[in-house]
Amino acid sequence: MIEVKNITKRFGDNEVLSDVSAQFERGKTNLIIGASGSGKTTLTKCIVGLHDVSDGEVLYDGVNFSALKQSERKEIRQQIGFLFQGGALFDSMTVEENVMFPLKMFTTQSKKEMQMRVDFCLDRVNLSHTHKLFPAELSGGMKKRVGIARAIAMNPRYLFCDEPNSGLDPQTSIVIDQLINEITAEYDITTIVITHDMNSVLEIGENVIFIYKGKKWWQGDKRDILETDNQELTDFVYASDFMKKIRQRARG
Amino acid sequence: MQFIVELGRYVKLLGAVFSRPEQWKTFRNQVFKEMNTLGIDSLPIISIISVFMGAVITIQTASNLDGGFIPLYSVGYAARQSMILEFSPTIIALILIGKVGSSISSELGTMRVSEQIDALEIMGINSANYLILPKVVACILFNPFLITLSMVIGISGGYLATVFTGIMAGSDYEYGVRYDFNSFDYTYAMIKTVLFAFVIVTVPAFYGYYVKGGSVEVGRASTKAVVSSSIVILILNYVVTQLLLI
Ligand SMILES: Nc1ncnc2c1ncn2[C@@H]1O[C@H](COP(=O)(O)OP(=O)(O)OP(=O)(O)O)[C@@H](O)[C@H]1O
Ligand SMILES: [Mg+2]
Repeated sequence: MIEVKNITKRFGDNEVLSDVSAQFERGKTNLIIGASGSGKTTLTKCIVGLHDVSDGEVLYDGVNFSALKQSERKEIRQQIGFLFQGGALFDSMTVEENVMFPLKMFTTQSKKEMQMRVDFCLDRVNLSHTHKLFPAELSGGMKKRVGIARAIAMNPRYLFCDEPNSGLDPQTSIVIDQLINEITAEYDITTIVITHDMNSVLEIGENVIFIYKGKKWWQGDKRDILETDNQELTDFVYASDFMKKIRQRARG
Repeated sequence: MQFIVELGRYVKLLGAVFSRPEQWKTFRNQVFKEMNTLGIDSLPIISIISVFMGAVITIQTASNLDGGFIPLYSVGYAARQSMILEFSPTIIALILIGKVGSSISSELGTMRVSEQIDALEIMGINSANYLILPKVVACILFNPFLITLSMVIGISGGYLATVFTGIMAGSDYEYGVRYDFNSFDYTYAMIKTVLFAFVIVTVPAFYGYYVKGGSVEVGRASTKAVVSSSIVILILNYVVTQLLLI
């Protein structure tokens, strides 16, 4: 479980997160939703310590991560898998080397074991024929999927995915959602997914946190979303006529 | 004030760079890779520049000795001394800043803005150490070889000039090259080479590593890196020369 307590983050005078507290449960795919620029990416970067918080603290299974020194954070970091919004693949390495990289750095596995793990991870994101390509030779969605493969290579205890299915077609998108959900349940890990995709929200949203202008505005599950009367949340979720119809139907 | 802050950040970065590598095997492979890109790939340009500089120094010196008062062999002596003392260690270092330094700065800058450095950090890797230390080690090991080669090629270039122009006898030039050789001059050049290798890598790495923004800032950082490291090298050159040669 990951717990954030009263996190505030400022960039200069710009307060991007204000007093955000939330719990991300283990064995569940926790979703963060919110408008573009509301602070979702910043929140996850604060959680993993890429940004230092201006105020507040982050706890990983009870360990106060914010109070740890950089060198002490390493142990937790090695249990984190992180998919960046832009992929952040190492562009001097092939797809295969990207996924193998954390294994090479932190495990004592043989070349063959690592290769098997890489094949397995790439298979799970439906990329079994791109091993030798470089990131520049991939489509946007493929980069995302390689990013996911790299994030899960080390069997992380904590998995962060910043918009895993933006740029993916609806079919692949569902495959990825299910993959993340499966891994989360199978290994009983704590997963945090940022998404704009309402399909994902209504499909896998067991614990959904809605960020509005840097504040935690609402929290609940996919059923609550259909019921809620929270104005900002309904404006966000039911922006399209299509979604409005879905809600009408769900409410009978 | 700004300068003090920057200097502090530079020293802090060096602290992160000089720590134990995560994996010695990976580190060793990276050092070889960097020797290839930072060292071997610089061989052609260094050779071309050195041969021409040696030739030009020789022609200039020889054509200024019309009085017959100064012996002709001093041309070879002058060519050797200028190559060893100044041209190869210092001017080649400045050229390497343009070639190697700017590429280090833009490589790291690009990695920073595309979040690749963050990706390393998240995995629990000391990114400064992983990315910069192999380059430092590669340059410090390889540059002495590069600079020595430049000396040899430059002095040979002078010889070729005597042959092509007939301005003086090759044997006089050769005599001058061998005349009164003091091995400390070479030591002095190597001390400079190692110091400059350190600057050529770490100063541009500093500018690239801390880039904020996008491709415009990456370009700007690269320019700043070239300017600052050139100035640092010129100042260092003066200080080391005063300390060692007086
Ligand atoms: N490194 C930074 N320096 C300064 N401001 C930043 C930085 N990163 C983000 N911000 C600001 O923080 C705010 C929130 O950005 P963030 O990236 O967290 O949004 P987001 O919710 O992830 O949006 P999106 O859905 O578009 O990815 C934005 O106004 C942005 O300008
Ligand atoms: Mg974002």
